[in-house]
Amino acid sequence: MGYKQIFNVLLGLVLIVTAVGASCAFASDPPPEGGAESVAVRLYLTDGSIPANDPNAAAWDALQPAEFKLAPQVHWPDRIQEVTVKSVKVRGMHNGQEMAILLEYADQSEDAADAAAIEFMVGDKMAHFAHGQEMLQVEGGEVNIWYWKKEQGKATDMSAKGFKTLRAQENQNVSATGAWQEGTWRVVFSRPLQTGDEHDVQITPGEWRNVAFAFWDGEIVDGAVKERGSQKAVSSWWYVRAEPPPDNSIYGYVVLGIALAAGFEFFLVRKIRRGNES
Amino acid sequence: MKGPLAKTVILLVGMYVFLKFILPLFTAPLPASLIFLYLALTLASAMIFYTMSGGSLDEFMGPIGRFLTGTGQTGIAGTARILVFVLFPLLVGWQTYTRLAPSDMPPAENRTIHPAPPGEFVGLANPYPRTPENVMMGKGLYAAFCSPCHGANFDGKGPAAVGFNPPPANFSDPGTIAQLQESYLFWRIKKGGVGLPVEAMPWKSAMPRWEVELPDEWIWKIIMGEYDGAGQSPRTWEEEE
Repeated sequence: MGYKQIFNVLLGLVLIVTAVGASCAFASDPPPEGGAESVAVRLYLTDGSIPANDPNAAAWDALQPAEFKLAPQVHWPDRIQEVTVKSVKVRGMHNGQEMAILLEYADQSEDAADAAAIEFMVGDKMAHFAHGQEMLQVEGGEVNIWYWKKEQGKATDMSAKGFKTLRAQENQNVSATGAWQEGTWRVVFSRPLQTGDEHDVQITPGEWRNVAFAFWDGEIVDGAVKERGSQKAVSSWWYVRAEPPPDNSIYGYVVLGIALAAGFEFFLVRKIRRGNES
Repeated sequence: MKGPLAKTVILLVGMYVFLKFILPLFTAPLPASLIFLYLALTLASAMIFYTMSGGSLDEFMGPIGRFLTGTGQTGIAGTARILVFVLFPLLVGWQTYTRLAPSDMPPAENRTIHPAPPGEFVGLANPYPRTPENVMMGKGLYAAFCSPCHGANFDGKGPAAVGFNPPPANFSDPGTIAQLQESYLFWRIKKGGVGLPVEAMPWKSAMPRWEVELPDEWIWKIIMGEYDGAGQSPRTWEEEE
């Protein structure tokens, strides 16, 4: 075998591998370096029942939590400059019908006015994280807020589109249970993924939705509740997605891709050979 | 090392090394998509050049054809050919899988940090003179209303800043207010996050709409105090006299 042949072989290798490699490598820029903090809550798909009313169920501890930092609500009056709840760990699961989200956060005292809330954008219109307040250049949408307060012992399913529009919905379909232990609240919210109510967020497995969180420390300080109303700890918008069922059709497409590529090779070589013969 | 095919390969490799490693020594690194575009143009040019005549086309395609058909190949060359024929479909399969496999990453966000202001805010001049009294008053107002998030040191690291996404602007960074005119700051302070256009994701910003709480005079003085405290100057378009 001569040098020329080796050279040809190497060239062929380089060409084919670079062609495929380049299409992989250049197809997209790598995502920018981010911090270790979460950007999304994953609702893990599970078979059977979910611990919708049990914040301390063992099933929760098997899930990887997302963690979000919280800020004092400074966007509109009445502001607050320092809050008790500094961050929240969020876990979620669903079974194709029902979903549950567990919020876990530190709060040194258990108080009647302790409260937590999850906020969602409803539909496809973007909504401001502060109760879907009006934006000046964009027509915003509505938000759906799931609110739990210790002394009420249940969840309230609410809607808002702008300040002073927060109200409890007619169709209440969210439930919540809280448990406080050694300086930690664990509050689980649950609801069917789909409700058919146009004011509710509808969760479809595989689709990304926007979610935000808020917390109130209900401790009594100098005769008054420490955090109430707009004085709360808040997060900005993050993402949530219900894990879709595994899609085995992907492997069919992979096999098809391999077959097409092999067929392409076969016909290419045959064509070149025929060209050389003629 | 001659022949049109070899020259093309060397040209492409050289071009890649130049764009990826040498050019960034003089300028900002090029995005991968731009490098890909330049390489595709280089390849296309070479193809056009070598397919001008039948002779050069044969020279260009000959080695590829000989390799693919296995003409006169034995030993290592034959093995390599089989390897390529096996690897290529597998790569296609892998590529198909990575494209179709469900991603755990949320949709990419492309936030414009300094979008264009509405027309009525373009070119406004600060109506208050830059006197020590005005600057001092501005700094006092800044301390009261802005510093909880933007920081007493104008660095975006106020005690309330931690949980925000996007984070409060760092005014001491030369990439923020030093790049902007005073009229731009006036707009952003007055209208806040909700005044942003769609490309700036107004639904995420916690910046208050200060026009409902502060008079314009205070806002102009806050801007003065902000530049002074951060050690920056507003951007101007004309030469100062």
